[in-house]
Amino acid sequence: SKMAIRELKVCLLGDTGVGKSSIVCRFVQDHFDHNISPTIGASFLTKTVPCGNELHKFLIWDTAGQERFHSLAPMYYRGSAAAVVVYDITKLDSFQTLKKWVKELKEHGPEDIVVAIAGNKNDLSDIREVPTKEAKDFAESIAAIFIETSARNAVNVEELFQKISQQIPPLENPEVDSNESFKLTRQPPPSNRRCC
Amino acid sequence: MHFSSNNNIYFLLCPKSHTLSQWALTDSTVHTFTLGRGQAERDPFPGESEHAVGVRAGLVLIWLRKRSSMFKSKAGNKESYMVNWRKDLSVLEGEVSGVYLQSPACEVSLRERDSGYDSLRRRVTVLDRLTQAHPVWLLLSLSDQEVTRILLKQPPGAFLVRRSSKLQKKVLSVRGDDASGCPIFDFPVRENQYTFSLEGSGLSFADLFRLVAFYCISRDVLPFTLKLPAAIASAKTHTEVEEVAQLGAGFWDCTPRQASANAPLQGRPADLLPHGAASQNHGSPPRICKSSTLPGCLRIQSSRALCFVNPLFLQTHHQVQQDVPVCSGSSPDDSPQGIPSKTGGKPCAVPPPRPPPPRCLPHKPATSSMQGSMPQTSASWCAVQQLHQSVEKTSMGLKHSSPKKPPPPKKPNVDSYHCHIALDEETIAKALSNAKLPHGGVGKVVPSPGNLPALSHDQSRREHLEQRLSDISISTSSSDSLDLQTSDEFHRPFPDLDDDYELDEDDYGVGLENDLQLRLRSPCRCKKLKLGASSALFILPRALKGPFQKVSGVFSSLAAPERRAVRKVVELANDKASYFGCLVQDYVSFLQENGGGGGGLHTSGLDLLQTLRQFLTQMKAYLLHSSDLQPPVESLIPEDQIDQVLEKAMHKCVLKPLKLTVDTALHDFQVRSGAWQQLKENLALAKTKRPQDLGVEGAVPPDAAAIDKIRHKFRSMRKMYSPEKKVLLLLRVCKLIYAVMQDNSGRMFGADDFLPVLTYVLAQCDMPQLDTDIQYMMELLEPSLLNGEGGYYLTSVYGAMSLIKNFQEEQAARILSSEVRNTLHQWHRRRTTERSVPSVEDFQNYLRVALQEVDNGCTAKTLLVRPYATTEEVCQLCAQKFRIADPENYALFLLTGETSQQLAPDTHPQRIKAELHSRPHGQPFNFVYRRVVNLNLGLHTDGQNYR
Repeated sequence: SKMAIRELKVCLLGDTGVGKSSIVCRFVQDHFDHNISPTIGASFLTKTVPCGNELHKFLIWDTAGQERFHSLAPMYYRGSAAAVVVYDITKLDSFQTLKKWVKELKEHGPEDIVVAIAGNKNDLSDIREVPTKEAKDFAESIAAIFIETSARNAVNVEELFQKISQQIPPLENPEVDSNESFKLTRQPPPSNRRCC
Repeated sequence: MHFSSNNNIYFLLCPKSHTLSQWALTDSTVHTFTLGRGQAERDPFPGESEHAVGVRAGLVLIWLRKRSSMFKSKAGNKESYMVNWRKDLSVLEGEVSGVYLQSPACEVSLRERDSGYDSLRRRVTVLDRLTQAHPVWLLLSLSDQEVTRILLKQPPGAFLVRRSSKLQKKVLSVRGDDASGCPIFDFPVRENQYTFSLEGSGLSFADLFRLVAFYCISRDVLPFTLKLPAAIASAKTHTEVEEVAQLGAGFWDCTPRQASANAPLQGRPADLLPHGAASQNHGSPPRICKSSTLPGCLRIQSSRALCFVNPLFLQTHHQVQQDVPVCSGSSPDDSPQGIPSKTGGKPCAVPPPRPPPPRCLPHKPATSSMQGSMPQTSASWCAVQQLHQSVEKTSMGLKHSSPKKPPPPKKPNVDSYHCHIALDEETIAKALSNAKLPHGGVGKVVPSPGNLPALSHDQSRREHLEQRLSDISISTSSSDSLDLQTSDEFHRPFPDLDDDYELDEDDYGVGLENDLQLRLRSPCRCKKLKLGASSALFILPRALKGPFQKVSGVFSSLAAPERRAVRKVVELANDKASYFGCLVQDYVSFLQENGGGGGGLHTSGLDLLQTLRQFLTQMKAYLLHSSDLQPPVESLIPEDQIDQVLEKAMHKCVLKPLKLTVDTALHDFQVRSGAWQQLKENLALAKTKRPQDLGVEGAVPPDAAAIDKIRHKFRSMRKMYSPEKKVLLLLRVCKLIYAVMQDNSGRMFGADDFLPVLTYVLAQCDMPQLDTDIQYMMELLEPSLLNGEGGYYLTSVYGAMSLIKNFQEEQAARILSSEVRNTLHQWHRRRTTERSVPSVEDFQNYLRVALQEVDNGCTAKTLLVRPYATTEEVCQLCAQKFRIADPENYALFLLTGETSQQLAPDTHPQRIKAELHSRPHGQPFNFVYRRVVNLNLGLHTDGQNYR
């Protein structure tokens, strides 16, 4: 039978100029699938990738990195299944901005959002300002995906999205709810409480 | 599109709306296949997507065959003919419009009686009968037990369509016969985009009625054909059918088996039950077979089935059956003689063995483990042949007189002769040659005269038809290309633009539809090249003159079921005699009279829009659950499309008449609050800023001329009532902005560049009225579209507008006020929670009650319950609706969390519901109708009345 397509909104955050859209353009354009309808521009791109029994259709929302647009970000990341926060390994400032974004996501973002940290421009490691270890440690401290990419050389771009795909929990049985019938259980459903 | 075939098989393409099942059913040489998506994936020519697009779009293959012909499994054969039939199929259709779909029963009795009844009788087609009498057999809410109870009392072939809660699908339940060893067969109905089909079958239909009608005549994957209840099959007039329809499900209780014994159906010979006949011959047990491994599949290259070839149809012609010892071969590869194989010595085709009996699903899901249990034998093939013969003779074989039968009466069914002629291969061959084919292959398709009935000598008529056919084949004009969007199968960004709105077409190459068309076009070119290179393929040049270049006609007719459904809803909305019509009309006129915002009805534009959105959503839910819409929308539209179609319909019947009212009200609110004035001032200020002041860096902003074009598009956007169409135009604006930015540089711009330019564009356009339009889209757009491309750009334009609104005070700080952020926050929460909210039981007069049975889980029904109806009254209603024989043992319970409370007879369920709803952190609750005894032991709260 046909695999179910699942739409996943993914939000791109990060300073202007770090290569947010370059990463996504690279991701979407490599292995270009002619069956996928092109979008009108690079700010919103889609790509469908298989993951287990599902097809993940990434709806990728790019944001403007300039400070003046910062306040609009919640519109973009709300409802996202994942956020890719991008910094430029040759610009320490962009890593500081990243930390701000991560903080904001933790405070105001969707509860179960998958956060991925991408250090872009890996190809320019000779002028690197952000040590890999520092970024990796930071990512670990917030349980985020970490990967260094090079949009220019197509390094780790696909891997970035694969990692995101893997962290998306598979859909539960879809037959739970329906119009025609529903289950009434005497037992309370298993507790959803998280333990501290 | 290619089809290998020998010279006896033709494939015609035509738009799906012209489903020719009627032809297929009256003339056994013509069969119609609508290939759904499933087949599209089986593209015999991988990499050439227009085939997929075309087929996916539901093109109909009319498969014409003359003699018993066999398919070649590899594309080695020389001739394949295809006529691309465009929407003007009506020409042909006109010719055959006199052909009515008739049940075999009718035909039999018709011949027995005076043929003067003919015309009278034929006025009621099987499709008509089915459509009109659907309350009898289309019982979607019926439980497994009820189906069993009803069908077991019925003769083999009796059927019902219901919705299985287990499978979460519609299911065709058919009474089996003794030989099949299965009392009731369940055939799940597969719903692809725009089509319905039975699982395991490659034949798809535009709606459920056509599907059932087809299976009344041809069994395909069924063990035998469906049989209409005698009362319906024998009804002479629509009135008679209507009388039966009035009985609804109750029909089955008042027509015991004996009733059908008197029916004309019984006049038919005993060998009418093909499956039974087959079983008698070799006692073949029913088998379970996966569709992908069906032996009767036409295999082309990909080794996956392109379409299901029903062996029934492969042996319909008596000549072959006479000439060829049907059981001669030990292998199914043996081809019947009499058909010269053009490819040389090799037999040119494989007669597929009979299709397996369908899955039997009543108790457990099908497994493939049984598949190996019955090997393909020549014996079974032999049985099929006999079976064909009998079926052919009895069910459809009036025209092609078997020598064993008396010649058919001449007078009736002249129309089917027309049909036959119209689609006759010779006719097509002529048409092909008329089209000046360069290829020499035409001559090979001249059929033997013996295959043409008497009319084959009617030269003038044939010429007439030829003319028509070639006319059809070259008609290529079509312009409503916007419908091409339907090709984006799962994720159509937005519904197509309707006819009733004219969009400005001065698009400067940025129209979405252009791209869509291009997308279809470009692979088409490759395809043509490839075809040209292949001498083995024979293409009708005129017919194929860009066969997919202008597929729009096909797509638009594909949307026909959707349009039909929309029209039905709109008609209902205009019918004040219906409850739905009342609700809609009252609401619309109320808002119109009160001026939308007037009379303190709404506190703000936002409030007005939210109420509107809620009304739309509630009405959709009502339509889904009520019986106002007849036939039910589920029978017309595949389930995953229903919401979208209803949404569109609601826009038409609510937003359209309210367009002016809402626009005016929104503007008034803005003016009164002072927001209008402030916005105007801020826009004026922002307009004076240079692009770089607004954050534009690398990209080229649009010049004055481009701004003019954009302004023009925004004006068109304002004229739309449908939020989807508005968003579509917004996307065009954005696309134009991108085009200017890129300026042939080929550079891809992300949001870092786009959002500042968009802000600049909005400032330059200086259209304060855009603000309410954006609000309109934000609040009314269907929630599911908010995450897509439209949602993205709507968000962006809203964000840009917010920046401009706050320009004056914020230009130094460059941050939006927290107030705006909160607004965004609230908006998102509102729009996302709304998705789960609406449900018909929240609608004032409705109450959803579940029937809980000991071993069978729950069945829920939404009942019409007035606010002050007592529990006692609700119980009476439940007993009636759930068909409870002993209502005194049942009571209404309120379940909240772990507790269950029996409601006292004098309480008011609606008020209880309202109270529960009003609690701030209300638990989920359910009303359950169930037995009082035995169930509630151990629940400590039981027996405690709710007061």
